[in-house]
Amino acid sequence: MSPEFSGKVRKEIDRIIARYPQKEAAILPLLHLTQQEFGFISPESEKLVAGILGIKPIQVREVVTFYTMLNREPIGKYHIQVCSNLSCSLLGAEKLTDYLKEKLSIEPGQTSEDKKFTLSLVECIGACEQAPCMMINFDYHGNLDKKKIDKILDGLE
Amino acid sequence: MVKIHIDKKPIDVEEGTTVLKAAETAGISIPHLCYHDAFPPEGSCRMCLVEIEGLPKLELACSTQVRDGMKVFTKSEKVVEARKGVLEFLLAEHPLDCPICDKAGDCKLQDYYDEYGLFESQFRESKEKREKKDKIGKSLIHDEERCILCRRCVRFLREITETQELGVFERGIHSRVNIYDLTPVDNNYSGNLAQICPVGAITDEDFRFKTRSWFLKKGESICPLCSRGCSITIEYHPGFSHFGVPSRVYRIQSRENQEVNGFWICDMGRYGYSYLSENRLDKIVINNKEWNIQPTWEDVSYFINQQLKKLDEGKKTSQTVLILNTWLSNEELFLIHKIFKNDQNLERIFFADRPQAEKDDFLLTAERTPNKKGALEMGFDMKPANPGALSDKTDLLLAFGSFLAEQISAADLKKALEKIETKVLFTSHENELNSLFDIVLPTALIPEKGGSLTNIDGKIQKFSPVFEPPGDSLPEWMMLADLGRKFGINSSFYGEFKTPETIAKEIENEVPFFREQK
Repeated sequence: MSPEFSGKVRKEIDRIIARYPQKEAAILPLLHLTQQEFGFISPESEKLVAGILGIKPIQVREVVTFYTMLNREPIGKYHIQVCSNLSCSLLGAEKLTDYLKEKLSIEPGQTSEDKKFTLSLVECIGACEQAPCMMINFDYHGNLDKKKIDKILDGLE
Repeated sequence: MVKIHIDKKPIDVEEGTTVLKAAETAGISIPHLCYHDAFPPEGSCRMCLVEIEGLPKLELACSTQVRDGMKVFTKSEKVVEARKGVLEFLLAEHPLDCPICDKAGDCKLQDYYDEYGLFESQFRESKEKREKKDKIGKSLIHDEERCILCRRCVRFLREITETQELGVFERGIHSRVNIYDLTPVDNNYSGNLAQICPVGAITDEDFRFKTRSWFLKKGESICPLCSRGCSITIEYHPGFSHFGVPSRVYRIQSRENQEVNGFWICDMGRYGYSYLSENRLDKIVINNKEWNIQPTWEDVSYFINQQLKKLDEGKKTSQTVLILNTWLSNEELFLIHKIFKNDQNLERIFFADRPQAEKDDFLLTAERTPNKKGALEMGFDMKPANPGALSDKTDLLLAFGSFLAEQISAADLKKALEKIETKVLFTSHENELNSLFDIVLPTALIPEKGGSLTNIDGKIQKFSPVFEPPGDSLPEWMMLADLGRKFGINSSFYGEFKTPETIAKEIENEVPFFREQK
């Protein structure tokens, strides 16, 4: 079934589009909204957004594939994004990534079978003062070690 | 107007001109790959960097506008160094497969590297492996490795055809041009993509691996396949016989003409060139058993003259039928009008043309013939040929072209023609129709003769011969001028016509439309 936005979201979309002199410019906020609503951006969602903005789906695809934070596949309930940049790597991010891989039995870019976790490696998330660090959905977790990771993951429903 | 200096050369240019265009007017060419006159500057290839006095960094010539007093240097040490660097990056992922690349020889990247290259890359990493023969359209092959991401193709489909079949996906090193969900490039202008690709990323299956570009000669011509009359370049291999035709045509490219077709031509005109060589007639064909020699044009013209003289004055005008078409040039139609309408007073002149077809909303017109406007302005009333036109009372039929078969059914035509005593056909191709005529004369096609055509908007465009016609084929204007001389009315007048240009001058004298259009 092709996705549809609820009436409430449609109102929000109208409000966003009104902010820009050209409709097309609302593409990024709309894609964020789409991801928030459906969890990821499917080809059908691309067509939905293109229809609202009066552009061709190919233009939406160009934007979606450009930004790595827009997911084109469904992801788990918790999206674990481990920083792989300099400060974190110096403080053992690689070993922690290996630990996460083993613990969740998935590789970076994959989602666990129970659809609970998705593991990703990302560039600097701007929290070097608490390296090594990771984000789970929109929450920061810093100064990580194996024990702390266990505790955090155990606390997730 | 502003005054600027490019490479110390003073130039006056219009305000708002870009440095690249200003340099062009001064005859200085600045290397560029992504910039194309048809589109606004893109600034992605960085090839056009130039030094501008007073500015700390090199600037893009394609997007920087001139300012009064600007001093631009296009060949300074800094600029040449930058070009080397830019080329090094462009070639970081570009395969060095020029020996098997169709674009080699007219590839700008290749040319620039030859001029500014480092020749020894500092990259030690191996190149990315990518898709090398992705079929993205009915005749288009995309090589992702060769693509330099100039986006000319994407912009063409976005701005000119507005069909947007191609986009740039992913980013950074992973960026690639591709179609959307396997929906191929499908429009009547797709062939232009292979032509505007500055490298060999998009190549044309119709041309792929058939020859090397440096073997080809180029000739300027006009596309005769619809009434737009787009400017084209015919690329051919002289001395490479093809179906008995002395020059083999390998491809048709569009040629810039802002008054008619801009930079583009449609796929019908681009790929529809097989008619230039296939099924060409190259000898005079005689189907009348009374002739037992292979005649020359001299013999045939003498014969036509005799036949016409045989009919007495009263009968001549009513019993001779002329069937024309609008592939004939202005010059040829003028001669026909003069000789047969003015001198011989013929009334029964009809036209048989290729039928109209669907037009598109860009260049392709419904009229699939190049000179209908010219025929109208020449004063023909353009009655279509029909079985009634060839009534019992016809003694002599002179027909041009093979489109009669498309307007009258084969059975009707056969029946009508059987009753006519003498039938002469001027045509360029072998056709079933030919066997119904007593004499069939081979004629030259547009690229094989000179003349002019009047397009749908009334623009008169001259064309010159690109290559020789096959065998004994002759341009119609030559045969017509000869007939005019032989018929004996105004002989000296026709004797003047040695070239299409001399005829064109006479048209201007006699037909106001052609004088005014000039």
